[in-house]
Amino acid sequence: MKSDARVNAAGSFTAVEVRAGYAKKTVIDQVNLEVKRGEIVTLIGPNGSGKSTLLKTMTGWLDTQGGSILIEGRNMQELKGADIGKKMALLLTEKIKPELMTCFDVVCTGRYPYTGRFGILSEKDKEIAADAMKMVHIFELADRDFEQTSDGQKQRVMLARAICQDAPYLLLDEPTTFLDINYKLELMEVLKALAKKGTGILMSLHELDLAGMISDKLVCVRSRRSEEEAAAGVQSWIDRIGSPEEIFSGNYLDELYGMAPGTYRRFAHESRIFKD
Amino acid sequence: MQSRNGRYITGFVLLAAALVILLLLNLMTGSVMIPAGEIVQILRTGDNASKAGVIVSQIRMPRMLAAMLLGGALAVSGFLLQTYFQNPIAGPFVLGISSGAKLVVACVMIGCLTGGIQVSSGMMVIAAFAGSLASMGVVLLAGIRVKSMSVLVICGVMIGYICSAITEFLVTFAEDSNIVNLHNWSMGSFSGIEWHEVAIISVLVVVTMIGVMMLAKPMSAFQMGEMYAANSGVNIRRFRIFLILFSSMLSACVTAFAGPVSFVGIAVPQLVKRLFSTSRPLIVIPGCFLGGCVFCLLCDLIARTMFAPTELSISSVTAVFGAPVVIWMLLKRRARG
Repeated sequence: MKSDARVNAAGSFTAVEVRAGYAKKTVIDQVNLEVKRGEIVTLIGPNGSGKSTLLKTMTGWLDTQGGSILIEGRNMQELKGADIGKKMALLLTEKIKPELMTCFDVVCTGRYPYTGRFGILSEKDKEIAADAMKMVHIFELADRDFEQTSDGQKQRVMLARAICQDAPYLLLDEPTTFLDINYKLELMEVLKALAKKGTGILMSLHELDLAGMISDKLVCVRSRRSEEEAAAGVQSWIDRIGSPEEIFSGNYLDELYGMAPGTYRRFAHESRIFKD
Repeated sequence: MQSRNGRYITGFVLLAAALVILLLLNLMTGSVMIPAGEIVQILRTGDNASKAGVIVSQIRMPRMLAAMLLGGALAVSGFLLQTYFQNPIAGPFVLGISSGAKLVVACVMIGCLTGGIQVSSGMMVIAAFAGSLASMGVVLLAGIRVKSMSVLVICGVMIGYICSAITEFLVTFAEDSNIVNLHNWSMGSFSGIEWHEVAIISVLVVVTMIGVMMLAKPMSAFQMGEMYAANSGVNIRRFRIFLILFSSMLSACVTAFAGPVSFVGIAVPQLVKRLFSTSRPLIVIPGCFLGGCVFCLLCDLIARTMFAPTELSISSVTAVFGAPVVIWMLLKRRARG
């Protein structure tokens, strides 16, 4: 199993037997997952199940407590400095508060891994940044002060920033958090377009409907609930990986989120306001 | 984009012009007024025989250069700390770093004076650097426990008060008559700085500034937050260490030679960022240095001429100009929410 993952790792972003957590506390264990280029993989699961912890570990921000993370066959620890940024772009939930920067300036920071000693942008860098802004339809915000924009606009600026980083893999932590429904759908379109161009996408989402709609693979992060599960020691684990069809079939989602069997199905059915 | 470069150029030209004017004014004014023409004459011939020549080359020149270099150093040190703490109110004086340096320097001075040892400038700098790092260390230790930046700044202010109180205590009870000097120094002043000291200051400030410029790129990545910076390839731990070392070195240099000087570290970076309308380190670092030169030259000019022959302590002047800037800045932040 382990060696298989290594062999296949050449064109993918892979976690092999990863154990992740903070300091001495292990949050999630035995994570095996793979994101191929051009594929959208989404982490779903209840709040506090460790989706964020896992993502932060996959970005290299948190050290793994065990196992390894491979980007196209190379161990993440071996990637030095700017190389990480060239392989992987991020969109995080943490808010940034840059001072006196226009939205264009913020987007341009995505080009940092490609600049020289003093971080001076070339004309080509600026073009790529402008293209990224056009792709998420925020080019008209270019000269606006970043701090004067709405949360939704900020989120889209940060998405443009991640896009112009031009990395084969994109990691997004709850990217829909500050977005209205129209921007949520727009974000999904942008992600699909990126995947089509060959970007491998790994993200966490709260909205099951969106996750089911867009993902090639759903990764279900489950946390312990009962006493006997607690006795096993680890807080969370990856319970199931599969296509949306597989995950949405039966009453599995109810089990994942700790609801009575049939609850989600009934909700989805009743909320179907548009009947054709 | 074009207009922005224009703004940068205008900003630098303005600061450079102000610098030249203040340099000249600083050489001209004092208890003996020396006209500009004569200054130029003295500078060209290298005259240090005439009375005016001695005043200019032995008294005003070294003092002026010290005020200039140390002012620049303080402003840059403030900017580095503001970047580190991501808080506009951070500065060497506010965080108690200057006071920590002052305490250690006072201890060393008193120790040496009672032991009958001559205090060299090198010892002063090392003592100040050690003191800066020590109080910085305390602030950072507090930072591990509390995540709130405002609490951290308050910790810094308190550390500053404690260090100042201990220094006052030591100065009050120290016996030597030389303590008068110590007292003057602990108030903060650029007076009595000599050429060999200016040489040491120049070397330290120039070397550190080169290091700081090398941090310009990771600093701009760091302004996006740690995780994004790490993703851009910044080694966060190493970057933080360098930031602390450089800012402590710069403020230690100031404290060693001129005593603690308040508000320059907070006010100048704010003014400079507004002047250039950017927070881009590649522009703001040299801008802060120039701005600090101008600010301190102006303040020193006022300190020694306003109530001549009585000299004011430099901090009392920098506070008068610097504190309103800080208040204005806080109000502006509040207004924006």
